Amino acid sequence: MNRVQKMAWWTLTWAGIAFVSSGIAMTVMYFIKGFPAAYAGSAFLGLFGLAGLSPILFKKDPGRVGCDERDRLINHRAALAAFTTSYLVMGMACMIPFFVMGPNANISIIWGPLIFMAGGITCFVVHSVAILIQYGSDSRQETNA
Amino acid sequence: MTPVPEITNQIRRLRFENGEISQQTLADRAGVTRQTILAIEANKYSPSLALAFRIARAFNRTVEEVFQFAPSPDGS
Repeated sequence: MNRVQKMAWWTLTWAGIAFVSSGIAMTVMYFIKGFPAAYAGSAFLGLFGLAGLSPILFKKDPGRVGCDERDRLINHRAALAAFTTSYLVMGMACMIPFFVMGPNANISIIWGPLIFMAGGITCFVVHSVAILIQYGSDSRQETNA
Repeated sequence: MTPVPEITNQIRRLRFENGEISQQTLADRAGVTRQTILAIEANKYSPSLALAFRIARAFNRTVEEVFQFAPSPDGS
């Protein structure tokens, strides 16, 4: 497993922890205090920020080639998939309320940063998944050296 | 159905004919990672022209001795 794969797993791990913990917290708070207090449980999504530590934790190996043309191609495809998916998510988040609620409806301003955050999380998660899928089939053969 | 690869190679055979050099050694000589050599050997990745030349030079062979172009049956 190379550095990029480790970073992708790290990102997905913290995304999973953030979503599960915030889901549990919101559920528990819903049964104790109900909405809107239960929305405070979503603060656990902030744990996803720990995914940003991956460049510090997984340092480049100075002695060997860390990234070559195939790694760059995989990263390019993953980034393309990530930004495309993120764009679609943000587009749907903007357009679905328009079609469901109509052009004259009002929504709370809090949805602005929430949509932005959803787009960002989608981008990082899809990028990590796309990287692992593209490397996936090769890693099973790594003992054939 | 798995598509037939158009670019095939003799890297595995050449590695063993050249003193059974490891994938890592070949990767170091060609300036790539071992995973890339593994992917090329398995016909899962077609290298760039520059990398194909570097791999061929690592074996002191021409590119066409290492890589072969096998067009699909319909000639495309």
